[in-house]
Amino acid sequence: MTMDIQSVLIPTIIIHPGMYVRDVFTECGKLNIHALPYYNEKGKLSGRLTLKNIMKFSCLPEHMIELAHLLGNQMSCIENAEAKAQEIICNPVEPYVRELSETISAKEPLIKALAMMEKNETSYIFVVDEEGEYKGLVTIQGIARVMSSLGKICPMNSSI
Amino acid sequence: MDTHTSSVIFGWDPLWVSSIVFIITYAMVVTEKINRSIIALLGAGLMISLGILNQETAINGIDFNTLGLLTGMMVIVAISRRSGVFQFVAVWSAKKVNASPWGILFMLSLVTALFSALLDNVTTVLLIAPVTLLITGELKVHPYPFLFAEIFASNIGGTATLIGDPPNIMIGSAVNLSFNDFLWNLAPITLLIFPITMLIIYFIWGRHMHAGDEDKQRIMLFNEKQAITDPRLLKQSLLVIFLVTLGFLFAHQLHLEPATIAMMGAALLLLLTSINSGAEEQSEHVHKSFAEVEWITIFFFIGLFIIVHGIEHAGLLDILAKEVLAFTGGDLTLTAMAIIWASAIFSAIVDNIPFVATMIPIIESMSSTFGGQAQLMPLWWSLALGACLGGNGSLVGASANLIVAGFAERAGYRIHFLKFMLMAFPLMLLSILIASIYVYLRYL
Repeated sequence: MTMDIQSVLIPTIIIHPGMYVRDVFTECGKLNIHALPYYNEKGKLSGRLTLKNIMKFSCLPEHMIELAHLLGNQMSCIENAEAKAQEIICNPVEPYVRELSETISAKEPLIKALAMMEKNETSYIFVVDEEGEYKGLVTIQGIARVMSSLGKICPMNSSI
Repeated sequence: MDTHTSSVIFGWDPLWVSSIVFIITYAMVVTEKINRSIIALLGAGLMISLGILNQETAINGIDFNTLGLLTGMMVIVAISRRSGVFQFVAVWSAKKVNASPWGILFMLSLVTALFSALLDNVTTVLLIAPVTLLITGELKVHPYPFLFAEIFASNIGGTATLIGDPPNIMIGSAVNLSFNDFLWNLAPITLLIFPITMLIIYFIWGRHMHAGDEDKQRIMLFNEKQAITDPRLLKQSLLVIFLVTLGFLFAHQLHLEPATIAMMGAALLLLLTSINSGAEEQSEHVHKSFAEVEWITIFFFIGLFIIVHGIEHAGLLDILAKEVLAFTGGDLTLTAMAIIWASAIFSAIVDNIPFVATMIPIIESMSSTFGGQAQLMPLWWSLALGACLGGNGSLVGASANLIVAGFAERAGYRIHFLKFMLMAFPLMLLSILIASIYVYLRYL
């Protein structure tokens, strides 16, 4: 098995203006990924939508994050959790679009993708072609999956 | 050599040049378009590069006692806050009053005032405001009166001690006033202003506050012990805060300056929290603690001290002092009243730090008029009371106010500038009236 970007590339849908949070959640949940690319009205790759960002800004006021360890089952905010969730998934994506993070070309080595993820403190990176068009994304989980499927047999672990 | 001022700068009198640099710096700080530390450092650089000061003289103008005290306390607070002690006390106090809304408002304000006096008011509100939003959310009451009261409590509490508010640190350092001097002279009046303020808040909002039994029960179910994230760190922090407070109280007997005590406290807490860690972990911990120092404030102070030293050197502050004395006719009572009211109104509108930095040398230069440094004490207390309490006058009057407003806005409760000022400014004026009477009766 080859260890290059192509081998771990995950093709995804692209998010456009007018789409909903539900579209992001559905695709991310299906592919087990954390982010999707956003193309603006001019059809240009201009941003990204991340699950973390959507969750943070739609579900978690700053003071709750600050006091995370104090939150418990008695909280009134969990009473209408389902209704709140229904409201969030029908929100348009635009307010949640973040700036585009660094991208990588499909021809670059995989180790560079890993290094860039580490540098940017993310677990994914968008892959683009020579024209800057989005091709898919590489995730740290995807790389781990490919590594774990390599043929080498490990020595027996006595503790198992 | 301590003096170096070019006699002419590009054909201009250095007095004019330094005044222009000073006024532009002030104006830029007020407009808040560019970060204040950048403006102050640029202004300081101009004072040197235009020949108003040389580098040696400029460095002599920096008050390292103020910087050391601020930095040391910032490190102590940065480490202590990780233990969760502030949130523990806030939740514990809310439960002590059986989650009654007015009781909680009073207790959170009291806690804010106490912590603001012993640590600093910015960190205090940074930690109390989230608890307030959480509790008022659960009680289903509007957080505005709570946050309003906490803003006032933080500035009143900060007024009470040497370390509570930057103006006091600057005045204490410049005049060599101890922690006990502030405690003895300013704390008594804050003990009167705080309950009066709370009484007014009660009549405006407190008596109308109600919460359902079920909502109160939610508060009672909070487990304040969960706020303590690191019990060992909590003990270490409390020990160091106790020792530092003791140090401040006995600074005179120990022959130590406040900056030394704060810096030693910071070093001790760093040591205690680094023991049993490897070299890399220690470096990371120390780096993280130092990174939490508000460097913007520290560099703002450095630049400001140099700029003020520049105009002092060029003679502007002497001229201003003479103008103030001409206005008050050299009468001590009138001068004290002018200082307390002017500094309160000024501090309500713009940052009180540049104002106090400018006023310190002005007041110092009045000593010959009033018969020595000892006779200036009413003026120092007037400046401290005016500058600290004046911060309550508007949303931009103090950093703590802006932090509370920021938290509220991000939680969906915008505090409007004018709405706040309509209530806060008269309340601030009332506190200044009480402080003026106190200064008059006690010192004049």
